[in-house]
Amino acid sequence: MILRILNLVVIGALVLAAAYVYRIKFEATVQAEHLAKLRDQVRQERDKIADLRAHWGQLDDPARVQDLAKRFLKLQPVAPTQFDTFDHLPDQPPDYMRPGSKDPIGGMIEHLEVPLEVTGSVPQDGAPPQTPDNITAPPAAAPAQSGAGSE
Amino acid sequence: MSAIAEPIAEALPVAPAEPWLRRFKRVMLYGRNVDRGAKARARVGLAIVGFVVVYGIIAFRLVLFGIIADSRTPQRVIVDDAVATARPDIRDRNGEILAIDVRVPSLYAEPRRIIDVDEAVELLTAVLPDLDPTELRARLSSKRGFVWLKRDITPEQEKEIYRQGLPGIGFLKENKRDYPNGSEVSHLIGHVNIDNQGIAGMEKWLDGHGLAALHMAGLATDRLQNPVVLAADLRVQHALRDELVQARDHFHAIAAAGVVLNVNTGEIVAMVSEPDYDPNDPRQANEPTRINRLTTGVYEMGSTFKAFTVAMGLESGKVTLNSSFDARMPLRMGRFLIHDFDPEHRFLTVPEIFYYSSNIGAARIALSLGTSAQQAFLKKMGQLDRLRTELPESAEPILPRRWSDLTTATIAFGHGLSVAPLQAVMGVAAIMNGGILIPPTFLKRTQQEADELGKRVISRRTSLMMRYLMRLNVEKGTARKADVPGYYIGGKTGTADKVVNGRYSKTKVLTDFMAILPADHPQYLLLIMLDEPKATPETHGFTTSGWNAVPTGAKVVARIAPLLGIEPRMDLPTADQLILASLKQSR
Repeated sequence: MILRILNLVVIGALVLAAAYVYRIKFEATVQAEHLAKLRDQVRQERDKIADLRAHWGQLDDPARVQDLAKRFLKLQPVAPTQFDTFDHLPDQPPDYMRPGSKDPIGGMIEHLEVPLEVTGSVPQDGAPPQTPDNITAPPAAAPAQSGAGSE
Repeated sequence: MSAIAEPIAEALPVAPAEPWLRRFKRVMLYGRNVDRGAKARARVGLAIVGFVVVYGIIAFRLVLFGIIADSRTPQRVIVDDAVATARPDIRDRNGEILAIDVRVPSLYAEPRRIIDVDEAVELLTAVLPDLDPTELRARLSSKRGFVWLKRDITPEQEKEIYRQGLPGIGFLKENKRDYPNGSEVSHLIGHVNIDNQGIAGMEKWLDGHGLAALHMAGLATDRLQNPVVLAADLRVQHALRDELVQARDHFHAIAAAGVVLNVNTGEIVAMVSEPDYDPNDPRQANEPTRINRLTTGVYEMGSTFKAFTVAMGLESGKVTLNSSFDARMPLRMGRFLIHDFDPEHRFLTVPEIFYYSSNIGAARIALSLGTSAQQAFLKKMGQLDRLRTELPESAEPILPRRWSDLTTATIAFGHGLSVAPLQAVMGVAAIMNGGILIPPTFLKRTQQEADELGKRVISRRTSLMMRYLMRLNVEKGTARKADVPGYYIGGKTGTADKVVNGRYSKTKVLTDFMAILPADHPQYLLLIMLDEPKATPETHGFTTSGWNAVPTGAKVVARIAPLLGIEPRMDLPTADQLILASLKQSR
């Protein structure tokens, strides 16, 4: 009797184990398929990225950019004189708002300068003159060398 | 199982005298005098053994399949996809892409599976008009299992052929090398063949360094390989090439070449040899005019070699900056006369010899030291041996067959010894960087690695004096047109008469210009070389280096110095005060 019960228990355990193993196996297959699909997707994405990078490389080719710049921009090559160092920056601007000043905004207006912007571009025809006579400040320096060198 | 097998074991000691085989037969067969119980047990035991064996085999095979299944899948991928090797990307020093693999479809056929060859030919040529119908028919009629029809077709063509639904026609995705910058970097990185194997330049070097073996092992299929980073800077390369192309057109030269070398690390930041080719269309590469003149060509470098002569003199200690040599009249060597291009007819000091570029003076310096000293010095500077870089192409220098006094005199001003220009660049860089000879490289290299590789060839002091002379030559001498304000350029010009039919031509010249910037603390060395430049109205009929290579060099410097991160400094003192003074301090 005991043996029979044991037998039944063992058979039940066997069936359960088989079902469990089957489930695991099934899940593993699903996972494997999923993995393969993902791998394939990753490869496709990588190929696409490579494709886009190659295309970007073509668009970013210095020769092409130079050609476009020549046709559409009025920029000129940077001259050595347009570089400057931080040492040559002018002193701090005068303190407009001194403590105790009666009219800080008026003080600012008094000191206000027309912004002087000289970049590498050539002024457009008909554009208003950029250098008013009353200003004798040196041309604004391009970003200092330390910045330009590390780009 | 052992529990069930026990009855057999129990049966054994019943008849110990009987041999086991006969007893086995007796038990298994229906003997009349056999105990039925024992017989049943034995048969059950046999059945158990049989089942155990069968299931054992099944279990073993399952385990085997479980293990092998993983290693099998990539093998299939190799066959399907990796027909052309995957190659690592090549990037420049800033990470700009110089070469990259893209996947393109290729068309193949399995002739045995094709049913109607005529139909296939007709449909395929409709989509791909550049396929030759007769050749296509021959290929499709062959009995082979697999033939390529066309490599590298467009996705649109692929779609159209796919829609035709021809049996036995298929597509494989292949790796194809793409060079987004076209001709810009051609000689530097070389190119690959249709199977994506490197056949020139850095591409070939890649194959030689493990990639080929990796592919053989079937591992080079993924694009996960680390990119190769070159020393080159694409922007500098472009600026150099752009100016060289303009110079070549302007002076109607047959070729123009240039190198930018980091003198402290030996990294080649840019290298251009015009005319070049588009690596995407490598057929042009085989034209002899498109060789890389910097490594595969050898040239007599002309007066730039005086840098070696003067450095040799100063290094020997027998010549100082104050020594003077007789340049009053042409130097007679046997049947030959050595002239100066622009004679001064007086004694010249060493700096004067350098910046007037006096052939007589240079010859006299070399002669005063002797032939063997010159040979030893040039050998030490790496000018007499083949220079090997990563590039597979290299040329051996052409040495004089007999190194006589005359040869010594002519080599002193750069005639009679042909070297690869890159070799001369390496030598001059050693003279400029403080006296360390560093083999040039196309790969990125740190200062530390360079220090380990470099070996001292001349003293720091000599190097300082040479920097002074180079700067002086720009301030007063033949390279005056190179003085771009702010960059403190030093340089030496060279104009070599070309050898035509075994004689030095009077009209055809090779001009070169070696510039260092900045001259007080050299960082970069620039070589500009023009092959057979013609005179133009602005050059007043001259074809010497100072009129063509030097202005070109100045333009290049003005463009590349900001890219190289060289700070412009205005209003610097002259070479006498800046470099010579530091020399006196170091004494």
